[in-house]
Amino acid sequence: MQWWQTVLQLSVLASAALPAAAASWGFVDATVSVQTKGAGVGSGLKHDIPSNGALSDPVPLGNADTLKVALTAQEGKSAKSAHQVFLLLQEPASGLDIAYPFSVKGNGKSRVELTWKDLPSQFLSTSDALDASILIGSFGESQAYNAPAFKLSLARGPDEPVPTFEVSRYGKLPEIHHIFKSDPQSPPVVITIAFIAAVLGAFPILAGLWLYLGANISHLPTAIKSAPLPHAVFLSSLLAIEGIFFLYYTSWTLFQILPAVAAAGTVAFISGSRALGEVQGRRLAGLR
Amino acid sequence: MRWCPSLMLFGFLAAVNALSSSGNRLLVVLEDSAEKGLYSTLWGDLEARGYNLIFESPKNEQLSLFELGDRAYDHVLLLPPKSKGFGPSLSPKNLVDFIDSDGNVLLALSGKSTTPSAVSSLLLEFDLHLPSDRSSVAVDHFNYDTLSASEKHDVLVLERPGKLRPDTKDFFGGEGVLAIPSASPHTLGDTSLLAPILRAPATAYSFNPKEDAGSVEDVFATGSQLALVSALQARNSARFTLLGSVESLQDKWFSASVQAPGGKQVETANREFAKQLTAWTFKETGVLKVGKIEHHLVKDDLTVEDLNPTIYRVKNETVFTIEVSEYAYDKYIPFEVPANDALQLEFTMLSPFHRLNLTPTKQTENSTVFSTQFTVPDQHGIFSFRVNYKRPFLTNIEEKHEVTVRHYAHNEYPRSWKISGGWVWIAGLWSVIAGFLAFVVVWLYSAPTSAADRRKKTQ
Repeated sequence: MQWWQTVLQLSVLASAALPAAAASWGFVDATVSVQTKGAGVGSGLKHDIPSNGALSDPVPLGNADTLKVALTAQEGKSAKSAHQVFLLLQEPASGLDIAYPFSVKGNGKSRVELTWKDLPSQFLSTSDALDASILIGSFGESQAYNAPAFKLSLARGPDEPVPTFEVSRYGKLPEIHHIFKSDPQSPPVVITIAFIAAVLGAFPILAGLWLYLGANISHLPTAIKSAPLPHAVFLSSLLAIEGIFFLYYTSWTLFQILPAVAAAGTVAFISGSRALGEVQGRRLAGLR
Repeated sequence: MRWCPSLMLFGFLAAVNALSSSGNRLLVVLEDSAEKGLYSTLWGDLEARGYNLIFESPKNEQLSLFELGDRAYDHVLLLPPKSKGFGPSLSPKNLVDFIDSDGNVLLALSGKSTTPSAVSSLLLEFDLHLPSDRSSVAVDHFNYDTLSASEKHDVLVLERPGKLRPDTKDFFGGEGVLAIPSASPHTLGDTSLLAPILRAPATAYSFNPKEDAGSVEDVFATGSQLALVSALQARNSARFTLLGSVESLQDKWFSASVQAPGGKQVETANREFAKQLTAWTFKETGVLKVGKIEHHLVKDDLTVEDLNPTIYRVKNETVFTIEVSEYAYDKYIPFEVPANDALQLEFTMLSPFHRLNLTPTKQTENSTVFSTQFTVPDQHGIFSFRVNYKRPFLTNIEEKHEVTVRHYAHNEYPRSWKISGGWVWIAGLWSVIAGFLAFVVVWLYSAPTSAADRRKKTQ
């Protein structure tokens, strides 16, 4: 077990020798306090930060509060003023950082005060606690100190609005999909069919009424016999006009039907006057 | 046949000058010609990439950025002046005019000397801010080179920058570390045209070495608010890059070994970074070109007449395609949209009715074809297809193609028999016609009935 002890001794020696070769920065007597404006002295919260350590509890900072951090910077074991004594605040979500320099006295005693007004709006708009680290460094060989000291949470009242900030940067914009007007709707087909039945139901009623009143076509043979051509042409021209209207409804255009209707109308006029002459003849003969 | 030699000459020139996408005349403004030797590797690299380097002193009264109203140079590389400024020919106004006429500028500063107020006012034009003493230097007690600056900590050893944002292209990344000696830091204003390329680490700060204070209590900016290298891309896509440390371009730092505290001794990647920086500034990278733009109706057999119609109807199914290439050092390559980003098409009349992500559908040898399909909104008017792609480090794409959107013609609506609600009216119409014909027949041929006879008798 001889070599074991030698190794142990050597390692102890090495660990003791390292800081001697390059001293490292650190701090002692660090306190963090929060004082509310208007409240009495000593009424606020005050914590001691362990030397070169960190507080476990987050420090709440309200809108009217002032955060004070005081510490004594040390190079190795001796208190000394460093070139850089900063309180570094970082927002964990975005990684944004900002540092506040301490005012440092020659003996290494340093203090910094911070209120909400000093914080950038990006920090005020988050709900997460900010990471507060202490940076102590200076020129030369000594190893600089950078370690988290406490978490700073912004104690916002329930009715205080969260400030928002807007930056305009070139980037992707949200997609827009046009919202179309909804298509016109038809009623259920059953209702349509019921009303069609009502419309077509008028036919049997009309036919029944006419038959009850004695409507008939008994004079048809007489009319055909006395003037066959005018009657046939007149009726078929009426049918043709309605047929042309049907074609207009389905496929023809206005300028296609106009000459056709004019032709069929002329035929109906001429043949109709002959056919009606025959009807008049029947009336004069006392047949109607 | 006189055009033949000139065509050959043109082809030859094109082959030689095919490096930067916007010309090869590079003016290097160097006050002290003795310093030229300090940067010989940089000059060699630039010449190897096809630049025609023209060295001028700012004191030269013949020097002018413009000749007969046109740019005399394509790019300008400004090294920090020793005297009070760059002189009358390189005044802030002239340099801004140069950028306005599509010239690119790389301005290098140094923390070793006070930056002239003329340079500071030029930077203010671009919303870049120097510390008010103009002679501050960036130091970091955590990331410095222990070999060359163990006392002053002003040689920063930094990782190569990654992507600016998750949705941007990485033009400056890579392996290795950068040595940034005696950097003059700056801060960026809040404008979308500016983008930081290299920021200081969170532990860095700036201070004026001429002020002999025991500790720094009044800082200009700290941590990543300090930028060491920043880029401005103007609205005309001209580029301006501010490099805080001209020393980082020197031969000495191109091949130096550096060691961060607690780290290993490594070679710097400054040469590679300088290549990326000059290539980006002088438009060898990040240059986008739009090729063919087509829009048409969704159709199986497209003919040439179907492409890019001037009129569409509401609710037409429409396809839009755009071809985009990206210039990479010496040739155009297919453009790839960075992850988390999107090339977007807007169909606008005053405001966008549709804003859709274009998806890559085809890739040619040197371009990507992006396309999307959408239904024209149910609103008639004068619309335009717009592609407005402005991103940090990429040249702007701004395309606007106007089309008319008409409403339905009277014969394009569905016919009445297709609307089930209209069947009742159709049935009513035709039953009236059928009733009329039946009435005509009855009226023509009906014989008087006994009931009618009865009525006559009673009369």
